Amino acid sequence: MKRISAFFARYQQFIPLASTALLALVAYGIGAYFFIGMRNPQVFFNLFRNTSYLLISGVGMTFVILTGGIDLSVSGVVALTTVASAVLLRDGTNPWLVIALMLLMGMTIGAVMGSFIVKLKVQPFIATLAGMWFARGMCFFISDDAVQISDRTFQILGKTKLLIPGLMELAVGQGNPAPYVSIPVAVAFLLLLVAIYIAHYTRFGRTVYAIGGNEGRNEQSARLMGLPVDRTKFLVYTFNGFCSALAGLSFALFVESGHGLYAPGFELDVIASVVMGGTMLTGGTGYVFGTFFGVLVLAVTQVLIQFIGSLSSWWTKIVIGALTLTFIGVQTVLANRKGRRPAAELVAGPAAKRRILRQRLAWGAGALLLVALIAGVSIARVRSAASAAAVDTAPCAVQFREAELESLIQGGAVMAYQRVAGPQCVDEIYAVYPDGKITGTDGVNQVEKQATPASVDELLTAISEEHGWFTNEVYDSYLTPCKQCFAHYILISHNGQEKGVTGTDGTTAMPPGYAFALAEIRPLLPEIKPAP
Amino acid sequence: MNKNTKSLITWKEISESRLFFPLVALSLILLFDFIFIPGFFNIENRDGNLHGSLIDIFRNGSTVMLLAIGMTLVIATGGVDLSVGAVMAIAASVAGILMNPSALKNEVFFVTDPNYTFQPLWVVIISALLVAILCGFWNGVLVAYMRIQPMVATLILMISGRGIAQLITNGLRVQITYKPYSFIGQGWFILPFSLYLVAFILSLTWLLTRKTAIGMFIESVGTNFRSSFFSGIDEKRIKLLVYTFCGFCAGIAGLVASSNIKTSDANNIGLTTELDAILAVVIGGTSMSGGRFSLIASMIGALVMQAITQTMYAVGVPAFALQAIKSIVVILVIILYSEQVKSFVRRLGSASRKGVNP
Repeated sequence: MKRISAFFARYQQFIPLASTALLALVAYGIGAYFFIGMRNPQVFFNLFRNTSYLLISGVGMTFVILTGGIDLSVSGVVALTTVASAVLLRDGTNPWLVIALMLLMGMTIGAVMGSFIVKLKVQPFIATLAGMWFARGMCFFISDDAVQISDRTFQILGKTKLLIPGLMELAVGQGNPAPYVSIPVAVAFLLLLVAIYIAHYTRFGRTVYAIGGNEGRNEQSARLMGLPVDRTKFLVYTFNGFCSALAGLSFALFVESGHGLYAPGFELDVIASVVMGGTMLTGGTGYVFGTFFGVLVLAVTQVLIQFIGSLSSWWTKIVIGALTLTFIGVQTVLANRKGRRPAAELVAGPAAKRRILRQRLAWGAGALLLVALIAGVSIARVRSAASAAAVDTAPCAVQFREAELESLIQGGAVMAYQRVAGPQCVDEIYAVYPDGKITGTDGVNQVEKQATPASVDELLTAISEEHGWFTNEVYDSYLTPCKQCFAHYILISHNGQEKGVTGTDGTTAMPPGYAFALAEIRPLLPEIKPAP
Repeated sequence: MNKNTKSLITWKEISESRLFFPLVALSLILLFDFIFIPGFFNIENRDGNLHGSLIDIFRNGSTVMLLAIGMTLVIATGGVDLSVGAVMAIAASVAGILMNPSALKNEVFFVTDPNYTFQPLWVVIISALLVAILCGFWNGVLVAYMRIQPMVATLILMISGRGIAQLITNGLRVQITYKPYSFIGQGWFILPFSLYLVAFILSLTWLLTRKTAIGMFIESVGTNFRSSFFSGIDEKRIKLLVYTFCGFCAGIAGLVASSNIKTSDANNIGLTTELDAILAVVIGGTSMSGGRFSLIASMIGALVMQAITQTMYAVGVPAFALQAIKSIVVILVIILYSEQVKSFVRRLGSASRKGVNP
């Protein structure tokens, strides 16, 4: 018992970090146990792909919070970066120059806020708030609408797949496409490594830790020790500006466009993930590496809620709030104990010591019970959700009937479309004829609908020319569909060309051209089973 | 003008007054309006009710003014409440769902009957305010009894509050068609009704803080909570009271905002208003680190914010770009309130007494 308590006392500062890491992995494990789709390695790597910008921004924010400050401007700077880079690229500026300019812009905004905080002694909260408003407002001076990014270099940067060595063969063996991450993920990890080095192995990093904590009193002691407090704070805000701009660039790569309303409330996500990573909001304590796990918890929460399906998106906010509260509560308790304990133990006699130990045991047992209770309730909840979503947890059997669709094309149709799976495990085949006749069948019922020949022609032209159906841009992207998702097979014959492509809803792997084509086809089709 | 009044009240007294900077800022903006925007000061009489740009400043500023009342007290204790916007949304959602519960059945079902309401008006208002007070109480418990930093404690509700509001309305925008409810935000009784609401809460708070000892307790907690604890003030209970009151003010603001747009929109009601409210208090000269406060100065701060907004709309600045202008105002305020400028103003008046300059 003593040894265990000594172990915990010794590694006390790692407890928040370790519990976050544990939480992320356990939550993913529970998800994978109930949802077959989550066992797909790509889903795991998508955690990083979807949150690379959160990680980048979190790294900068960790430094700011370590000094006892806060930066609310990140979401504004992210939005400004997306808009400014999109507009510059539209006007034909060199993409590398754009990237350099954006990073410079982020650093400038950070530096200005930093100098306000350092020179005019403004509260970080107020100064960065002004920074956020400035950046957000500037977005709309640049462009009112969303601007598409179609620059080739940006497309390459955003779409290049970095395959994971070692996992490729494994995945292919299981019949899944090889899992991959994107370039922003690699950049985020590189930044994380650099930041860990800076925080723990440089003079600058040690100064950052020395400034934060103890309600500003540590800052005073750091000043009295002769540490360059002002310069360090200034640099920290500049660095965070840089990180925000980098996050904005990776966000722009992710969504391939820029708009001033992007990333609303992003700073809250960033702060929450830094806190969940074990960094004290009062500053002085925490790890840059912890932020990585904080981001992971956020990502896993989002994915779990997506997979459960019956929970709406706002549950993400509530869960994140509850998690943040838990972590802050743990931190506060730890911080209070840290201050009290030495005095109590010095004074205490053996009897009191035993009492303290007993007390601590009771607390530990209580906490364990609480965790078990919460885990039990949430597992029951997830299980019922999983069973409520569909009676059988196994995914629908998907079989594409290529030959049947091919025969429809031979019979005069210009397009044949098969939709499989979904919540009710359907298997529907539609055929579109050049004279506007559209037929559909699910094996039991037959439906027919008459559209105008012009609309069919328009559809085919749009799909083949605008969305690049017969080019390399549209390719097979089949994954086992989740319970809510459909798998599609579309076979199109137009102007002497013929091509059939498979795809699955609910994955990011679907090529955009395919998604657009699907969105144009769906409204034309007749409803096989009209809703009761 | 300064020279004339110098004999009666000294320049030092004027420049040291809490109301000095906010009033200067407000008059500068109004002066700008007077010169550049024709008809800004026109007030029409429509059926006995007064309308016009000046009245609009008061009417549209009423939510921020309500929030600023609560926020002033919170900031005076050395804290801050980031969750007021989310609490507004929660109160509005509760009110909306009690008047038009169709969203709960997942129907986008528009009640068009202006006399239909699911619950009577007093139930609606009281339950919305109770929920808001509960939110404030929660913040107060976290700050006072769990000793969590105010910014962090209220951040939690700021993050999850909108989720809770969406949970209440089932993620839908709830239309409010009930006529008597819309009187709160759109009613007119010579002056806009919401203004009377502000005046009522303001005078109530002023009486409570200036005619009883509570105000002094708040200031003493904000100045130094340790010494006020030793002098026998229950510092925790004061903090709890202040945060709960802030929640109450946010609840009223939520009712006004939702009745103004006749919708309880969990996503957008009160979005970023917490920042407006904090800024109004800061412009009013209450220090973010706590201590002395002035409710009137905060009200003028809120009016400054709203006057800027109104002016920019009149000039034709798009709504979203307004934030950039606001940020520039913030920066100006920061510079205006910095020690450097303050000592400069002091020197301006007291050229003879050089010793004042720190």
